[in-house]
Amino acid sequence: MDLMKTKILLDEEEIPRRWYNIMADLPSPLDPPLHPQTGKPVVPDDLSAIFPMDLIRQEMSPERFIDIPEDVRDVLRLWRPSPLYRANRLEKFLKTPARIYYKYEGVSPPGSHKPNTAVAQAYYNMKEGKERIATETGAGQWGSALAFATQIFDLECTVYMVRSSYAQKPYRKSMMQVWGAECIPSPSTKTRSGRAVLEKDPETTGSLGIAISEAVEDAASHPNTNYSLGSVLNHVCIHQSITGLESREQMAQVDDYPDIVIGCVGGGSNFAGISFPFAGDKLTGKHPDVEIIGAEPASCPTLTRGLYTYDFGDVAGLTPLLKMFTLGHDFVPPSIHAGGLRYHGDSPIVSRLVHDGVIRAVSYHQSEVFDAGQIFARTEGIIIAPETSHAVRAAIDEAIKCRQTGEAKSILFNCSGHGHFDMSAYDAFYAGQLVDYEYPEQLIRDSLSRLPKIGQ
Amino acid sequence: MKRIGFLVNPVAGMGGTVGLKGTDGLYDEAVKRGANPGSWRRALATMSRIHDCGFHFVTCSGPMGEDILVKAGIPGYDVVYRAPARSFSSDTRAACQGFLEAGVEMILFCGGDGTARDLFDVVLGKIPILGIPAGVKMYSSVFAVSPGAAADVMKSLSPACGVSPKRIPIRETEVVDVDEEAYRHGELKTRLYGFAKSPYLPGLVQSTKQVFEERDEERAKEAISRFLAEVVRGTPEILYILGPGTTTGSIAQQCGIKKTLLGFDAMKECRLVGTDLNEKDMLGLLDREEKVRLVVSIIGAQGSVLGRGTQQVSPAVLKRIGVDNIIIIATPHKLQETPVLFFDTGDPDLDGSFGDFVSVISGYRVAQRKPVARNRT
Ligand SMILES: Cc1ncc(COP(=O)(O)O)c(C=O)c1O
Repeated sequence: MDLMKTKILLDEEEIPRRWYNIMADLPSPLDPPLHPQTGKPVVPDDLSAIFPMDLIRQEMSPERFIDIPEDVRDVLRLWRPSPLYRANRLEKFLKTPARIYYKYEGVSPPGSHKPNTAVAQAYYNMKEGKERIATETGAGQWGSALAFATQIFDLECTVYMVRSSYAQKPYRKSMMQVWGAECIPSPSTKTRSGRAVLEKDPETTGSLGIAISEAVEDAASHPNTNYSLGSVLNHVCIHQSITGLESREQMAQVDDYPDIVIGCVGGGSNFAGISFPFAGDKLTGKHPDVEIIGAEPASCPTLTRGLYTYDFGDVAGLTPLLKMFTLGHDFVPPSIHAGGLRYHGDSPIVSRLVHDGVIRAVSYHQSEVFDAGQIFARTEGIIIAPETSHAVRAAIDEAIKCRQTGEAKSILFNCSGHGHFDMSAYDAFYAGQLVDYEYPEQLIRDSLSRLPKIGQ
Repeated sequence: MKRIGFLVNPVAGMGGTVGLKGTDGLYDEAVKRGANPGSWRRALATMSRIHDCGFHFVTCSGPMGEDILVKAGIPGYDVVYRAPARSFSSDTRAACQGFLEAGVEMILFCGGDGTARDLFDVVLGKIPILGIPAGVKMYSSVFAVSPGAAADVMKSLSPACGVSPKRIPIRETEVVDVDEEAYRHGELKTRLYGFAKSPYLPGLVQSTKQVFEERDEERAKEAISRFLAEVVRGTPEILYILGPGTTTGSIAQQCGIKKTLLGFDAMKECRLVGTDLNEKDMLGLLDREEKVRLVVSIIGAQGSVLGRGTQQVSPAVLKRIGVDNIIIIATPHKLQETPVLFFDTGDPDLDGSFGDFVSVISGYRVAQRKPVARNRT
């Protein structure tokens, strides 16, 4: 066993040829998405106005494995297989007997896990003859990933960027420009949904839920344009499985298998990517004891404090109703620096697995998260995104538990992206200006008790 | 801004040190109890930090201004009012009249609520006023949170002190009138005296670009009160006691109720149940009601949640309500300038039961976690 190896690498030819679809291993099918007007389960035709058929098929597919098109694999070669690191220096710093591994997705050109699905989505849209894709972005990671991917396949790209991030991270928008995309702060006056929000609150910070409404509306009202979502949906989780599949191979190279798998959770895609292959092993009894933990912000605690029910994916109520953990589609999360985690809902599959107890969730305050980010940068060297720091916080906490119990557990986490465009957030941290936002759960429930129930 | 009126109420704060809840009309009693004038120290603390900011001060003679300018090493001022050896509120008013005639753009004063009212009588909303806190009660929001903060605000108005502001945020703030006689008998009787203009306090951290404007503060209050009004409506079985302040006032307003500014008022299902409650009233309500929640806002910067001007909610009342039923509210701006909160209810065990952190409602469906100071002395 070569335990002290730092980078565990795969050969380019070892890029997986198939994605893994955990739907095949769920004990019973997911509750179907419902049509926002009729309340009936959606059929492929309902979605074809804004998604290409190949993606709709994946969204509903019961197949365990789905072939990755060679044209997509070819683009993935630019940075895949991504390295798996053994965090020797972090372990030493924590004085933990645990073995910590991280899958570093920050090596992609846009700097995160997002292009794993952006490339696939752009490809399928190109194949169907679409000319433009509209999307939203929270932190800017997804927008820049899709800008990068659409440019490769010669598509136009319009990105609605949550206003608070647009102001916090101007260089994300510059990246999109370099890759030829148009980036618009959301809410904007370009769409009906955007105008409605601005009318009610001209100073709004915006939210992912609002930006999704705008992008969906844009796509639905232009025949040459499709919509693309960077997280939440099943096909996105499928595309992201490549990280977990590679990680399992890489850990096998050093004769290891994780006791604990961790990811941060916004819409759930990077977490799904790293964990679903292992969750599949758990569901099928191959590794029944593997523990899987999603880390989310205390200010937007969807999995730890939300309700498991049908809700819209966006603020305007344009998307199908999804059965998921939700804080309510009209919830505008406070303006935390981990903009990519400001989402009221969550992937229906992740939600289901949390509901079933296959996965558990934890939540953290901003200052704890930045502490972890600093520790990581000062031990492993990489300055990570604030989103990613949530996963690092959870990994550190688990490693500290090992120090207390003396257990030498093996911990794997998804290091979803670098933080090179988040330096103003680090500045705020060092200036002592981070606010530890919370979600006043009981009072919110009280305030909702007289309102009509959502979904059902 | 360059020409600034500067005025000190030399006797401000004297009553407080000797257990009188104010000094208005009680100067002789305060002296008899051994009080010494102390406001000059607080004024000096501000002035010595802005001595080289290029302001031209217009002031009064002796302890009402000139003495402090000399101690602070501030040259080139004009004395436009001759103060008598022992000054009264009439002197404050007369001096302000003189300042206005001398064309000052703003008045910096040192005193308490009474001094603020005297200034306001003359100045009204004509020019901004800013208070260096030195009185017994400072419920008016024309005061900086501390002498140091007053200096910081003044610096932000001066091009010579480095920070040359593009625009000076001026807001309208309340000047309140507390009935001192009633106050001394444990009763808070107040009324809104008027709205003065005051430079907005940009918080303790001068380096931030964040400029909080009046609009932001009002928006934040609106968001907090909109949320809590929804909570009140969603819980018709719960009685709510709202503490002093404008934010709690706006919760009542959202419910269509008018609340006293400094009193504790009770409401249920958006119906007013009682105003200006004292301890006995509250205990009576607690006997009758199944569940009671208390809504209180923090005092900015110093961080007091309970124990400053809230004697009515005694430890007995708080224990009956229960720590979990206390809802603390504050705007983000106030929280930013308040690093830690503290409880000083008079019962240390009760203070301790709030834990190391509390959650403060700071917006619509949003809270912030704030640390609680331990053994504060
Ligand atoms: C670096 C990084 N990690 C994580 C996320 C969270 O998204 P998801 O939950 O879909 O992985 C984002 C989203 O923007 C991100 O940029």
